[in-house]
Amino acid sequence: MNKGEISITRRLVVTVLALEFLSALVLICAVTVHEYDVELRGFDANLTGTARMIMGSVEDADDADDNVVLDLHNTPLERDAFYRVEVDHGKVLGSSGDRNAIAEVLSKSAGFHQIMIGHRKYRFTVLHDVRVVDPGLPTGGVRHNVTIVYGRPVGRVWHEVFEAIRFFIIATALLLGITAIMIAMLIRRYLSPVYQLADAANRVNGVNWQFDAPESAKQTKELRPLARALEAALARVQLSFEQQKRFTSDAAHELKTDVAIVKSSLQLLSMRKRTVDEYSQGLALSLDDFTRLETTVEKLLTLARLEQPVMARDGVVAPGCSMKKIIEEAVHQSMAFGQLKEIEVGVELAENADVPLDRRDALLLCSNILVNGLQHSNHGGKVWLSLARMDGDIVLTCRDWGEGISEEDRPYLFDPFYRSDLSRSRKSGGTGLGLSICRAICTRVGGSIDIENHPDGGALVTVILPVFRSVPISK
Amino acid sequence: MRILLVEDELRLAENIVAALRETGLVVDHAADGEDGAHLAEQGVYDAIILDLMLPGKSGQEILRDLRRRQMNTPVLILTAQEGTASIIELLNAGADDYLSKPFDLGELIARVKALIRRGKGVSNSKLTVADVEVDTIHQTVTRNGEPIDLSPTEYRILEYLIHRPRAVVSKRELLEHLYDFAWEHHSNVVEAHISNLRRKLNAVGDEPLIATLRHRGYRLTGDSRRE
Repeated sequence: MNKGEISITRRLVVTVLALEFLSALVLICAVTVHEYDVELRGFDANLTGTARMIMGSVEDADDADDNVVLDLHNTPLERDAFYRVEVDHGKVLGSSGDRNAIAEVLSKSAGFHQIMIGHRKYRFTVLHDVRVVDPGLPTGGVRHNVTIVYGRPVGRVWHEVFEAIRFFIIATALLLGITAIMIAMLIRRYLSPVYQLADAANRVNGVNWQFDAPESAKQTKELRPLARALEAALARVQLSFEQQKRFTSDAAHELKTDVAIVKSSLQLLSMRKRTVDEYSQGLALSLDDFTRLETTVEKLLTLARLEQPVMARDGVVAPGCSMKKIIEEAVHQSMAFGQLKEIEVGVELAENADVPLDRRDALLLCSNILVNGLQHSNHGGKVWLSLARMDGDIVLTCRDWGEGISEEDRPYLFDPFYRSDLSRSRKSGGTGLGLSICRAICTRVGGSIDIENHPDGGALVTVILPVFRSVPISK
Repeated sequence: MRILLVEDELRLAENIVAALRETGLVVDHAADGEDGAHLAEQGVYDAIILDLMLPGKSGQEILRDLRRRQMNTPVLILTAQEGTASIIELLNAGADDYLSKPFDLGELIARVKALIRRGKGVSNSKLTVADVEVDTIHQTVTRNGEPIDLSPTEYRILEYLIHRPRAVVSKRELLEHLYDFAWEHHSNVVEAHISNLRRKLNAVGDEPLIATLRHRGYRLTGDSRRE
């Protein structure tokens, strides 16, 4: 068992047993007190009875002075009993035991008294009575004041009390033992849904993601939240795992295709001897193919970089950059492409703000959106960029008058390598990563990106980014 | 021999088409699944090279529909997908061969040629009829050991006929298998090539090899042996 390990079973067993032990203890105490009381009364009754018997043994001495004598022949006394019979203050008729101690009791009033004699505690009764000799005489007889002291060790009472509560103690010990076993078994049984849940969770691995919390766990009120949380967490992990898997497989597909093109171009060239012109033409084509491969790799790496969590490097915060400048730069960059398709690019920058993006990423975002708009515009069309503020955020919109997006594509537009059927065959030159990169840039800083169809035709891209607030560099 | 290539990556398709044409095959190219399916169902191809991930209709669907129509054209699948499961599935669905991207262009050509031969019940790349021998790898023809210099079209006609010994091959069939869709169909072109081919073959041997059956077509005479 590990040090510091906490066991619910052990805790419960210990708690229940401790409580049970305590209540048993209280019960035994109460029983003891009660039993002592009862025994003491019996003891006292016994003392009084014996004292009266001794009184009965004080008899007429049949002498001239009408004295009395003590005749104990018919009065059996306990061996450990002390007694003393005095008549008329001072005349001792009989006694046994420690005289001094008994004399001390004698001085006390009638009733019960406890004193220590040696190492033993004794309880005495003091009885005063009058014995009349010859009560039939006209004088009314001779009156003798008799005082009887009778005592026995009080330890006998305790002996009787212990005899009586021994049963209780044994019964309690037995009960504690049975309870300990029962409770350990029951708790183990009650906790079995926990183990079943753990078993089910244990079976989940990279291949088999199926996790259904066992019924036993779902029906246990205390376990239900845990079972549900596990199910939900695993579902989320599975989703992201599958996304990752799909991404990897898509990336492999894409890279293999690009490599296949480069390879086939070069192999085609080397199939037979060719003229210098053919070679230079073939090499130019191969170089184009290679550039395409390079672009795919570059974009994949960009996406991988963007999907890493933002790391504040040693308190250095990336400086914000002006959206206005970035948009102007993006427009300038894609001017050639726009002119080729004779597309008019309009820019409406009503507001400006700094966004918490790296300049490179901001430019990538803006030019990707703009180029996307240009690609989906018809020849001689129009693309409109605007910048506005909304609730403290900055909103970039890009509108084109192209064919728009289909509703079935919409949920997947930002998935890596997703291309709507029309642009699938890369005629448009895209890798299918542009919008994924845009989304990664936006979500990294807590922004968002969305595409919808404009009611008047064409697509509308809306990017919402938080405004950059300069944070003082803390040491 | 006429090949159909269904591949949506244009640059890759261009390279494959160029390579196949250089080895004397006639190639049609379809850039999406629907065109590909339509062409494949014409039944004029001696082999089909099929990509899997296609816009419109996937390669699997094209293959399935083709086999459902009892069309037995040999199909070679080009795939960039991972995993043996999909390969097993494809072969079970009626594919004859597969190559994973990135592939070797030479290997692709060799496999396509092997598929064509198998599709016609031949296993050797050297075909013989009477005293004429055709080497389909090097595209050379000899008669009695003497090399005969043929134009590409003449060679293709002879190759096609030698693959179908003793069968009557119509002019239309020859046209279908010797030219792609870019070609203007003129049946007298075939006649001109046949007569040239006869002349060249007879220059070294005496027996006439190609018989003309009026209104029906052509037939190779003499025993064909496959070494």
